[in-house]
Amino acid sequence: MVPIEHYFILALIMFTCGTLGVLFRRNLLFMLMSIELMLNAVNLVFVTASSFLGDLDGQIMVFFVITLAACEAGIGLAMVIAIYRRYGTINPDFLKVLRG
Amino acid sequence: MNWLEMTLCFPLLGAILNGLILRSESKTLAQIVSVTACFLAFFSALFLSYDVLTHHEGLKVYHLASWIEAGSLSVPFSFLIDPLSSLMLLIITGIGSLIHIYAGGYMSHEKTTYRFFAYLNLFVFMMLLLVTGENFLIMFIGWEGVGLCSYLLISYWFEEDKNAKAGMKAFLVNRIGDIGFLFAVFLTFKQFGTLSFLDLKNILLNSHTLTQEMQNSIALICLLMLVAACGKSAQLPLYVWLPDAMAGPTPVSALIHAATMVTAGVYMMTRLSFFYFLAPQIMTVVAVLGCLTAFFAATIALVQNDIKKVLAYSTVSQLGYMVMGCGVGGFGAGVFHLLTHACFKALLFLGAGSVIFAMHHKQDMMEMGGLKKYLPKTHAVFLLGVLAIIGVPGFSGFFSKDEILWKAFNYPVIGPYLWAFGTLTAGCTAFYMLRLYTLTFCGENRSDHHTKKHIEETPVIMWGPLAVLAFLSVFIGFVGVPAVIGDLVGIPNFFEHYLEPVIKMPHAAEENWHFLRDHHSHALEWTLMGTSTSFVLLGALLGFNFYKRGPKGISLILKKKFSRTHKFLTNKYYVDEFYENIFVTPLQEMSQFLWKIFDLIFINGFINGVGRGLMISSALSSWKNSGGLQTYAVFFVLGCLVFLGFFLK
Repeated sequence: MVPIEHYFILALIMFTCGTLGVLFRRNLLFMLMSIELMLNAVNLVFVTASSFLGDLDGQIMVFFVITLAACEAGIGLAMVIAIYRRYGTINPDFLKVLRG
Repeated sequence: MNWLEMTLCFPLLGAILNGLILRSESKTLAQIVSVTACFLAFFSALFLSYDVLTHHEGLKVYHLASWIEAGSLSVPFSFLIDPLSSLMLLIITGIGSLIHIYAGGYMSHEKTTYRFFAYLNLFVFMMLLLVTGENFLIMFIGWEGVGLCSYLLISYWFEEDKNAKAGMKAFLVNRIGDIGFLFAVFLTFKQFGTLSFLDLKNILLNSHTLTQEMQNSIALICLLMLVAACGKSAQLPLYVWLPDAMAGPTPVSALIHAATMVTAGVYMMTRLSFFYFLAPQIMTVVAVLGCLTAFFAATIALVQNDIKKVLAYSTVSQLGYMVMGCGVGGFGAGVFHLLTHACFKALLFLGAGSVIFAMHHKQDMMEMGGLKKYLPKTHAVFLLGVLAIIGVPGFSGFFSKDEILWKAFNYPVIGPYLWAFGTLTAGCTAFYMLRLYTLTFCGENRSDHHTKKHIEETPVIMWGPLAVLAFLSVFIGFVGVPAVIGDLVGIPNFFEHYLEPVIKMPHAAEENWHFLRDHHSHALEWTLMGTSTSFVLLGALLGFNFYKRGPKGISLILKKKFSRTHKFLTNKYYVDEFYENIFVTPLQEMSQFLWKIFDLIFINGFINGVGRGLMISSALSSWKNSGGLQTYAVFFVLGCLVFLGFFLK
């Protein structure tokens, strides 16, 4: 039996990778993928907790998160396409229209 | 709808219809609307007066709606019809109607007559509010409303700077009086807790003794109201606006600045006679002020060359008589003179208007002369007006003026002096009116060839109303024949009896006014009457003889001999210049200072400083709004980490 800490450490690594990806990748597509990674890290925590506690609530939550992730990916990709058509780039460094 | 509502409603409807709805280019339509409105108001007023005077014992309060209800202050839209207000109603709507008709002829060469007629109707409405209001505030609406209409009509020909300025002057000088009115209203409410005339009258008539504090505040109220009357009724020292108000069209001068609005002060003092009786010291001020105004204005009128200016100063002088009449306790005499003056001064102004109309808007009497031949009808009615105003026995002015002079003579201590000045004024009046008449109608015509060729008698629409007014000017005096003559020829003094219910003496004041009831010898009255009449005849004779050869002859010699006095009088005692230097110029200088120094440097500096400070601070702080998505995200995550660390500690 793998101890529960290992699951959590793995989830933490995944979450950190995702966060760093969102913060530092210079490509909107990769940023979206990093967000997926973060969501899946959270899913892992839910599933682990559910299995160790013998409570199904966590697994139900995972389904919600997956649904949400699908929606987010759909809208996000659509926006990326729209941005590309409008500005000809998906590098966030060049997308600074909201500068004060 | 009762008669009162109809009386008030018609002029307002006329004004709205003409000024806001129709705005018709057609002169006939505009005139028909406003004349109809005024006539309907006149007939409603007739029925209203008849109804109230016969069926309601001469007093009725119409309560139309409530207006201000706040704690103990209750000011409804209520209107009082009694002998005084119905008399005023009839003067305003009656003479107003005649002047409306006349105005159609006089204004026939104007472009936007609908505007003129709308203002005129609005004026009638406001004046009706003023005289029918049952409390101070309704009266105040009317008081301000007539001031506004006066302003609008004086500067009716506003394309000329001079006229616009005259309107402003009238309005601003009246504001000084209005301040007095407002403070009197405040003080009345503070002292008595009510603004209704009837309530106040009941309180004061039934109280036998008054505390010192009460007497002081009554005196103060009377003084403040006197300031208001000085503004509206053009008394010293606020009379300066009235001569300038002649910049307006002549029908306006006749209606507003002779017959109705300027008498508002006299009406107001009569309405508040129960106050004034309780303040004998203020009454002395009123009497002296009226007397001085009458004399002062009459002396200025002696040398004016503009036909309307002479009449304007004459109006100021006659108003002085009325105020003096009120001041010596003869409110009835004051109102009687108001009535007769309304008739003959409207006649004189309209007659002068006809002359000006015929002379193609020339107003200088030096360019007139010999108009008897060209304007026979105008000449006839004008002559009657002149005889009425100078007080030739039998004409209306004689009865009312003598009533006032007789009342003035009986006033204790200063009475004989008041009488002497009044009689001297009557002599001056006769002189300048005859001078005006002679210069205008007698002798040779002095106008240039072109004007002379085009002088012709005015249309019937103009001399018709004049004829009616002439009839009134001659005969209206017989409603108030003084007892001393009345007993002899068997005509009772109907007028004094008529106003008795309005002018009541409070018990507490009776000891101060016993001389009003004292019996005086008829012989004395006859003597005084004879003296003043001989002064009038002397003045008239001099006036006629000096000027019958036009501006040349004796008048020229006198002018040269007394050139300094003449110059002093021609420049109206330099009062306008005095006011200009004492009030207007310092005010302008101060405004310049406030504008250049205070406004531009302090206020603008502060406001602009605040703006500039904000610009700088926002420029400094806007660096963080880089617009970079990931920069924001970094800060967000850092923030989350801080919170996380804080909670997991």
